[in-house]
Amino acid sequence: MSAREKIFAAIRKARPERATPAEIGAQAQACSEAMKRTLPALDQDDLAALFTARASSEKVGASVERVATLADLPPAVARYVASNNLAPDFALQPDPRLKNLAWGELSPGAPLRADSALAVGIALCGVAETGSLVFHSSPEAPTLYDFLPLHHLVALDAKSLVLRLENYAAFAQRLAIPRNVNLVTGASGTTDIEGVLARGAHGPGRLHIVIFD
Amino acid sequence: MTAPAQDFHTRVEKALRDPQLKIALERTTGNARRKRAAAVAAWPDFEAARAAACAIKDHAIEHMATYLEMFENNARASGAQVHWARDAGEASRIVIDLCKASGAKVVTRSKSMLGEEIGLPHALAEAGLRRVETDLAEHIIQLAGETPSHIIWPAAHRTREDVAKLFDQYHHEKPEGHDVVSMVASARKELRADFFTAEVGISGANFLVAETGAICTITNEGNAELTTTPPRVHIVTAGIEKIVASTEHALQLTRLLVRSATGADLTQYTTFHCGPKRAGDRDGPEEFHIVLVDHGRTRMLAEMPEMLRCLRCGACLNHCVVYRAIGGHAYGGAYPGPMGSVLTPVFDGLEQSRDLPAACTLNGQCKQVCPVDIPLPTLLRHWRARSFRAGHEPKAVSLAITIWAFFAARPRLYRMAQAAALPALRLFAKGGWISSLPLGSGWTATRDFPKPPRQSFLAAIRKGATR
Ligand code: SF4
Repeated sequence: MSAREKIFAAIRKARPERATPAEIGAQAQACSEAMKRTLPALDQDDLAALFTARASSEKVGASVERVATLADLPPAVARYVASNNLAPDFALQPDPRLKNLAWGELSPGAPLRADSALAVGIALCGVAETGSLVFHSSPEAPTLYDFLPLHHLVALDAKSLVLRLENYAAFAQRLAIPRNVNLVTGASGTTDIEGVLARGAHGPGRLHIVIFD
Repeated sequence: MTAPAQDFHTRVEKALRDPQLKIALERTTGNARRKRAAAVAAWPDFEAARAAACAIKDHAIEHMATYLEMFENNARASGAQVHWARDAGEASRIVIDLCKASGAKVVTRSKSMLGEEIGLPHALAEAGLRRVETDLAEHIIQLAGETPSHIIWPAAHRTREDVAKLFDQYHHEKPEGHDVVSMVASARKELRADFFTAEVGISGANFLVAETGAICTITNEGNAELTTTPPRVHIVTAGIEKIVASTEHALQLTRLLVRSATGADLTQYTTFHCGPKRAGDRDGPEEFHIVLVDHGRTRMLAEMPEMLRCLRCGACLNHCVVYRAIGGHAYGGAYPGPMGSVLTPVFDGLEQSRDLPAACTLNGQCKQVCPVDIPLPTLLRHWRARSFRAGHEPKAVSLAITIWAFFAARPRLYRMAQAAALPALRLFAKGGWISSLPLGSGWTATRDFPKPPRQSFLAAIRKGATR
């Protein structure tokens, strides 16, 4: 018998499967529902406000600003570049929505490198409960854009916000499963030395989110 | 074998005589306890949530074969290669063979307790591979030539002063300052190039998601994604108990796991990895391997299934009075603290590790803070009883317990013996505490014993005495 067969034989001996797939599915559903009933109430009227409060809380530590439309992203990037003394060239996530913007004085053509100062991207959606950005990897959303730059500036469509992690899970079920799902909650950090939080471990040290309608 | 065959008592004595250790442990676990308490206070129904988390894990364990099969099929469909290992040696061999087949010389690793459990660091060294630990704490202990002493903060035994010394000595560019921020920046610089030199990146998994065939990692530094994305090969090692039904269940458990571990709502990076690079992808590994490890877990399914719920959050360590006094290394195994004292006998055999379940005050704190309500004290008592029955206890201990049992079964005799012993014990007390006892020096060398009252509780009640 192979290792695989031996392991399955041992599991089946201890836990023979007696339920039908439909029964198992119903049990799994009941487990999720039971957990949902324990969750603290959240104010669902204004998801963007809830998201902003969570993402900019001390625990998460991102900065958030709101603009009218995606067309306002380039001026927001220009302000960010100026106030952080960054060079005007940066790496742009190869998403057509971003490429087609009028970047003016800025040069979004820099390649993504191990020491990129700034990358600008766009999230698939956001989770208001936790202030998390969600990215699904694809040719238009390579994973490393979220991890290599020192500053990560991300556009987030207010209409894409979901209330809770469960709402994201339900949304994701309707999409193709990507190679990577990245839920990003604040800038990279570590508490490995004496439990004290320091930002900018190996990933971005600053996360700036621009919410557009 | 996860614990070295060295005397537990020797290690404990060494730990108790190290004042620096106590300072380092209190800084890390104290921070963790405060943050967890605040996070739990913000979730009024946390007790009900623990019960719900427990049910989610129990559901996956109850249908383990079904879900593992589903996971395997979905993972294969995504292009992943799935391997099965019965024990630690087999798991390590599979990983080493994969590394060799890929022609790797440098391997990056993001923190994985299962990797420690199966002895992967040692196996990689033996195979002549350069292992680069990319998690900050793992980097610190790799420089110090040590093993992790905590499952969430592997360098919990090191103060910032220790870390400064190590970085000054080993980093190509010394840190600009000895504050935590400068030292973190120094590690970022030191490790940057290795992320792109490595041919293989190895990670663990917090969850295996049956519904999608994805594995989930929960981290905060960004090193995990830099370990798993640039190299040509990504190898995941995971215990089979990490299986959960769905993405929803994984995220629901993550809520409790992270609050219990660090007090955050989510860590910075909750990442699902599903298969290798796809057509058109600009990054990602070309090969994606998942090594699923049994190593005693199918035995636990019969003997202590509750322990398979463990999310490896570390809360039971942070709240354990014994762990906080002796630190992780004294336990000797890959996993320290209450959860380690339950797990190490599974991996190493009870005879080797019978001291671990014995080193517990049974105060029940661990069970109270456990996000999946594992009855750790009950499981530790189970090991103690088994050890006694199997005759692993030293003769003196067995004899003492047998004598005690004789009296305990005869209440009148017990009370008479106690009435005689109390005044005698009181003779050794100084100012309310006994700091040395004939035949009891093993106990009193590092702790004091409270001066007993004049008479027993029962005797006092019987006399109607108020004090
Ligand atoms: S036993 Fe419970 S508290 Fe301890 S690490 Fe496991 S899940 Fe956390």
